[in-house]
Parts: sequence; structure tokens; C-alpha cells
Amino acid sequence: MSSLILKRSFNRSLLLSQKSCTGRQLISSLFSSLSELQVKSPPSSGLRDFPSLDQNYKFLLSGFSSFLLKTIERPPRSQFRGSKRYLSSRSSERCRASASGIGILQRDNSGSASALLSRVILPYDSNKDQLHSKRFCMFSTETAVELSTSDGLTVDRIVASNWTILDESESDWKSHAAAISQSIQVVKRRLQWKKLMVRLDLLSAELNKPDLWGDPVHAGKISREHGSLMAKMKEVIAFERELLEHIDMIKLAREEDDTELESESLNTLLRMRRNSKQKELEALLGGEHDSCPCYIEVQAGAGGTESMDWAKMVMQMYKLWAQRKGYKVTVVDEMPGEIAGIKRATIKVDGEYAFGYAKAEVGVHRLVRISPFDSGKRRHTSFAAVAVIPILGDGSTHVQINESDLRIERFRAGGAGGQHVNTTESAVRIVHIPTGITATCQNERSQHMNKASAMAVLQSRLDQLEMARQAQMNAQHTQSLTEISWGNQIRTYVLHPYRMVKDLRTNYEVSDPDSVLEGAIDGFILSYLSASLDKEEVYH
Amino acid sequence: MKLISSACSVVRIPSLYASLYRPICSASLSSSPSSLKPTTPLFLRPPRFSTSISDLHKWHHWAKNLASSVGASFVQLDNGPDSTSLRRELRWLLEDSLEDPSLIYQLGSQNYAMDVRLKAPLDELYVLWRQRIEERRPFQYIVGCEHWRDLVLSVQEGVLIPRPETELIVDLVKDVALASGESKEGLWADLGTGSGAIAIGIGRILGSKGKVIATDLSPVALAVATYNVLRYGLQDMIEVRKGSWFEPLKDVEGKLAGVVSNPPYIPSDDISGLQAEVGQHEPRLALDGGVSGMDDLLHLCNGVLSMLKPGGFFVFETNGEKQCKVLVDYMENNNPGKFFNVNIVSDFAGIQRFVTGFINNKSS
Ligand SMILES: C[S@@+](CC[C@H](N)C(=O)[O-])C[C@H]1O[C@@H](n2cnc3c(N)ncnc32)[C@H](O)[C@@H]1O
Repeated sequence: MSSLILKRSFNRSLLLSQKSCTGRQLISSLFSSLSELQVKSPPSSGLRDFPSLDQNYKFLLSGFSSFLLKTIERPPRSQFRGSKRYLSSRSSERCRASASGIGILQRDNSGSASALLSRVILPYDSNKDQLHSKRFCMFSTETAVELSTSDGLTVDRIVASNWTILDESESDWKSHAAAISQSIQVVKRRLQWKKLMVRLDLLSAELNKPDLWGDPVHAGKISREHGSLMAKMKEVIAFERELLEHIDMIKLAREEDDTELESESLNTLLRMRRNSKQKELEALLGGEHDSCPCYIEVQAGAGGTESMDWAKMVMQMYKLWAQRKGYKVTVVDEMPGEIAGIKRATIKVDGEYAFGYAKAEVGVHRLVRISPFDSGKRRHTSFAAVAVIPILGDGSTHVQINESDLRIERFRAGGAGGQHVNTTESAVRIVHIPTGITATCQNERSQHMNKASAMAVLQSRLDQLEMARQAQMNAQHTQSLTEISWGNQIRTYVLHPYRMVKDLRTNYEVSDPDSVLEGAIDGFILSYLSASLDKEEVYH
Repeated sequence: MKLISSACSVVRIPSLYASLYRPICSASLSSSPSSLKPTTPLFLRPPRFSTSISDLHKWHHWAKNLASSVGASFVQLDNGPDSTSLRRELRWLLEDSLEDPSLIYQLGSQNYAMDVRLKAPLDELYVLWRQRIEERRPFQYIVGCEHWRDLVLSVQEGVLIPRPETELIVDLVKDVALASGESKEGLWADLGTGSGAIAIGIGRILGSKGKVIATDLSPVALAVATYNVLRYGLQDMIEVRKGSWFEPLKDVEGKLAGVVSNPPYIPSDDISGLQAEVGQHEPRLALDGGVSGMDDLLHLCNGVLSMLKPGGFFVFETNGEKQCKVLVDYMENNNPGKFFNVNIVSDFAGIQRFVTGFINNKSS
């Protein structure tokens, strides 16, 4: 199989290099090296084939880390000649990289070409002034390179062409390509592409500072963020490149009457099209803490047993939702109502993107039904407030907690304690005296573990407070229960006289409250997340 | 969710089991030494039994109702557990009995015919829960373990169930031990070790050269402590010795870096009024501290003077404020200048619970 791919890839690279007039001699080797771009003079002659640097030129450079595409810009001659350390972004022209062929060949050959670490050989100009083995530090993302097919098709152009999008089952490459391109645009918008680029530039500049590691904590933070944004960017670009490659392939296959190759690429496009919806979804969760686990807290509004019962139903809804998603759920703290339900409760939801999804649930949830607790069978409206707190990873900066600022209390009505008492109840409450913030845990089987859990909750609450203080963050998502105003209703659940659940922010609605209360809330979450992201700035 | 393969054999519960079940009072201090093989905690037993979800659900429903029927009656009677606590215990019993505890959430949902694997036959679970409610048998004896700090310790009749308050002794030692390399690598003693809780807790914070000698008078306690020490792989660090207080420590006199103890401290007259779980099920030897409750505490207080090396540290757990005060007075008045830095430390309920301090350098 691999030899087939190799052969095919080789064909492709041949073809593409001919087509894009970049000269296969240019890319004789693509090595990997740590985030550096090495500019080398072409190893062979044939340089005359090269278009002048002053012209808009294309070159093949795929298979090395896609972020390089962002950075590789043909430098103005003067700088290229000199020994400037960084590639300049001042060029008046963009270079266009044909996103195809060679990369695959290279991958197949080496089997292990690393995406992170790449070397690239740049074309250099015909008067052969050159920088042999000039190394450029690649923490840069300066000017955008637009990926295109060999005949200049780009994602934006595909979208602009308004090709009809047919059903998936129709084997029409244009239709697939149009659908995928649209998705790529949605993904870019959701990732706030332009901002992402600016941020990456900023981080790159930061990483290039020679004294960076003088402050290792800061450096670690910067390089983590850089890495994570870079990964996001690379994924999109790789997807984009794959699309364009296969468009090239299809055209090639048609020219050569290679139906096997054509249907192979068509299938790839179909797979990508199916995949692209998932990518759109993933792009919804690009927030700094979205991938974190979280606490979900529910508190009953005024209204006694009926609203405590409602709070319990809401909590149950989240437990079931979390289970559906394969998250691990732990009850951290639960204050039961006297007759039924809960006054308030905290669960811990552990799993990828728990916070990213759950944050969409912050606010007040309203229930309208005939209360089973009302002997008069009257209709009641009750409220439950929901707060969501991210549990920041070890990498994040946490608020420093002083032991001496804590008061640790045990819940237990009077009595001598110690040897006198046998109890399995070892709830612990921790009060952070300076802020008055408290955390309780009662569900672990030892006091020590309850204390540890409560400490973790307290840490997250204090972190959240700090984030809110640093204000820039989306204020709503970091609101604690006490801050959520009862006026901030986000969703209404009506069980009587008709049946419906409606999100007041997006108008998304469902006519089957039972399924929603059994945890089918992804529709609400996703529509909210996309509504809140999609209305933000366009990506270019 | 784990599916139980239908090919695996379904162990049918012997109907005789319930009647054969050993009455709980037989396992006590009076048991002969030959019966001193400690029982394996429920959660560590192999899942050799199996039942359908629907039968398990039936049991759970029954057990829950039994727990709810208690209401606040035990609280009023002797400050025992209320039904909320009992329902929580029920969940933990289920957690310990199931091969796959995540099934708890599936109880009462779909797939009623599905089989689940259990670590005890369902009949036994009926018996155990009845004992919990009707005989007030402590939950920890029912499941055979107590979660204490980050440990899960085996316990059984004849051994005191370690208390949450006592967890703090390890923290107090930690503050001292971690502050000085000498203590961290030194020799410690846990007197009246019971399940071995404190000794194991300390063993896990000492350095690689640190050692703990754990003593007790009760053969059951010694057997259980040994079992727990082994389970945590600390047999090279913790030595379990039989004997009364300092008696088995003659060879290390004046060499101990620290002594910790939670001796019996309940005044004899209070024993009869104790919560049923304690008074009727836990060993008197572990609770009864004589008329004032301070017989053993005072004995220990005298003993540490010769047993600890100069600068050595001690922690004693007490019955509360009164005993703490008496102990501190005793140290200051009967042995002036011999102790220093003597402190009273409260537990998380705000009750003065521990007396800590150091032994003065003898030359001074
Ligand atoms: C209150 S329990 C403490 C057990 C364990 N250290 C704990 O904290 O869970 C007191 C222990 O002292 C033991 N004990 C009673 N009299 C003793 C004595 N004279 N010498 C040694 N141990 C004794 C009992 O058997 C019991 O295990």
C-alpha cells in the first residue's frame, strides 16, 4: 500500500511542481528542526527557472508544519541579502503557497516528518545573492499566506463562487468543496481567526525576547498559550490544505483519466465534508478555559419545596447530561431541602471541554408546572440559579492561599466527639477569612478527603473571583451563584398548560421537556455557543 | 458500563446463608487467637456473586425505606445517625459491594434483566443492612473498612474504628517531622495503635530512614494493624509489637523522636450512655480510660519523659477541654521544666482535643 501512495504522491509532486512552476529542484529535502526555518540556497542549478523575486511567486511547501506557511514571506531583496535575523513582513506582495503534493511524498518517505519542527528551503532570487543556511527563528506569524490550488482556487474563492451544495450522496466534488469551504470559514470565524493571528504574533514576539526565561512562570504560560493557539491554527490550515490538495488531485486525475484516483479523492472530500461539522463544533470551544473540568452549582430560588424540587431536577439534568457525554460526575456538596429537593448543590464534572459546554448554562432556569407539593393543584413558577466554575489546570496561575487565612469547620451538632461518637458524616467547611468565601464538601468518606475536596472548590472559587476581578473575561461565565441575579433568566421549562422548553437567549426551543430534563441539552448549548460566537467579528 | 457476560456462572445465594450468618457478638475480644485471621474488607473481596439489576434494585429500595423509617429516632435516642446519614451509608455499601460501582447510577433504569457482579451475595446484603439498622452495628464493621485520611483501613469487631478527629494527629506530626530532618528520619511510636491508623499515616510522611513502632494490647488490634501495614507495603518501616504502653519499648528507651497516642479516654461511668454503635459494638478496652478517663493519659505523660530523646515530640488525643487542661497542668506542676512548648490544639469542631509538646534537653 505504501508504495502505491508513494508512487502516487510522487506523480503528484511531479505534476504539481510542473504546474506551479516552482521547480522540483527547489524542494530536494525537507528536514525537520525545531521551529526554525532554514533558508538554503537550492542545491542544484536550474535557478533560472525561478521567477524573479519581485514577482508574485508560488512555491510548494507542504508537509512541514503548516504554521510556517503563515510566516514564509518572500523577503524584500535588501533584507534577504543582509543578515537580518527575522523574516520581514514588509514585503508588498504575498507569496502564495501551493498546498499540495510534496508534503505527502515527504511524509511517506520519512514516515515521521514532524509537524512541529521544520526546515524549509526558500527560493532565492536569480541574481544568486544568497544566505546559505541562514536560520530564521520561527516564532512569528506575521503575514498571512493564502493557500490555493495550483490554479489559484482558495477557500474564499470557492465560497464566493456560490457553487450549489448538493446532498452528500451526490458525487460532485464542487458541492463537497463548497460545503467544506463554508465550514472552514465558520471555523475561522469561531476561532476569531484575525484575533488569533494577532495574538500569535504577540506571543511570538514575546517568545523571541532573549530574557524570556528569566521569568519561567510567565515564559511557561506564554509558550503554552502559543502552543495551543498554534495547534488550533495548524489544524485549520492542514484541513484547508487537504481540501485544496484533493481538488488538485481530482483535476489531475481527470486530465489523466485516472478514475481510481478521482474517486479516491472524491471519497476523501466526502469524509472531510462529514468531518467538517464536527470541526465547526470544536471551534465553538476555543475559550481559554473551555477544555477544563468544572463545577456546576445549582441553587433553589424562593418558593420553598417546589423550587427546591426544581433545583434538584435541574441538577439531575446536568448529571444525566454529563453521563451522556462520558464525563465523570462527583457530588461535592449537597444541601437537601427539608421535604424534598435541594437548597443547593455542587457537582464536579470531569472531562474534556466540560467547562466549555457547561458555561452555556449559567443563569436562571424557570419552571412552570402544576406543583405536586400543592394540594390545591395550582400552577407554580419556580426558579433555579446555575453557576459554572472552571477548574483551572496545574499550568494556570492560581490564587495563592494562606493556611492562616483559613478557618476549617466540621458540621456536627454538639456532642463530645472523638471516641464517644461513631459517625460516617465528616463534612468539612472551609472559610477563606479575607474574602468570606466558603466551600463545603460532605460526600467523601473521610474528613481528610472532604477537606481536600473543599479546598479544591475553594481554590476554584478564589480563582474565579480573581478572573472576574481581572474583568476582561466574559463576566457572565465567571459569575458565582451569589452574583447571578434572579432576573437573569436564560431558559423556561413549561410542563403545563403546554409542554415546551425555550431558551430566551437564542429562542431555541424543544417541545419535549422530558428529554431535556433527562439531559438532552446539547441543542441548547450548541445553539447558544454558536449564536454568541457567530455574531462576533468576521475573520477577515 | 460493564456488561456482565452471560457465560459467567451465576452463583446462587444459598438460602441458608442468612441463618448461618455468624451473630455479630461472637467476634469480639474474647475470640480465640486461632480465629485471628483478619477479615477482608468487602470492597477487597472478589466479585464472585451475581444478581440481576432488578433484584438488586429491590434490595436497594427495601434498604432505603428501612433507612428512611429511622427518621430522627436514633438522634433523639443517643445522638445516633439520622436517615440522611444512613442513606449515604447505603450508597457506600453498594459502592463497596458492586464490582463496577458506576452501576449505582443505573439502578432503577433500563436493563432490568442485566446481571451485575457482587462481592457479597444479595442475601448477605439483606442481613448486613438489617444489622446496621436493627442492631446498630457500625457501618464500618459492616463493610469492614474505614476511610481515614487518604487511607482505606480494614476494621472489624474488636478494633476501634479510627475517628475523623484523629486524622489531625498526622497533620500535627507532619508539621514537626517535615520541619526537622532528624525527626523525619527518626524513630516514632504509636501507642495503642488499634487498626494501625496513626502509625500508617505517620509512616507515609516520614523519610526513608524513619521508623514507627506500633503497640497494642489487643490481639485483634495487632492482627488488623499488621494486615493494614502490609496492605500499604509499610512492613519494613512499621513494626507492630504486643504489650502494655511503653512495656514493649524497653529497648528503645530515650531514643524515640516522637510518641503519639490516642489512648482510651472515656470516663468509665460514661460508657453505658454511649451511642449504641460505640457502646454496644466497639471494644471497651479501646474506650474506657478509668474513673476520670485519664488513667492512660497520665501514664503516657509520665512515660514520655524517659522514652523520648531530648527534644522529642509528643501528641496525645483527649476527651476535650477538661482533660487537656488537666494534662497541661500535670505536666507543668508535677514535672516543672521537663516539658516545653506544650500546646492545646482544637479539632475541626472547635473542641480542644490534643495536647502536643516537646521534652526538654535533660541537661538544662
Ligand atoms: C482509642 S483506641 C485508639 C486506636 C487507634 N490508635 C486509633 O486512633 O484509631 C485505644 C487503643 O489502645 C489500646 N489499649 C488499651 N489499653 C492498652 C494498653 N494498656 N497498652 C497498649 N494498648 C492499649 C486499645 O486496644 C485500643 O486499640
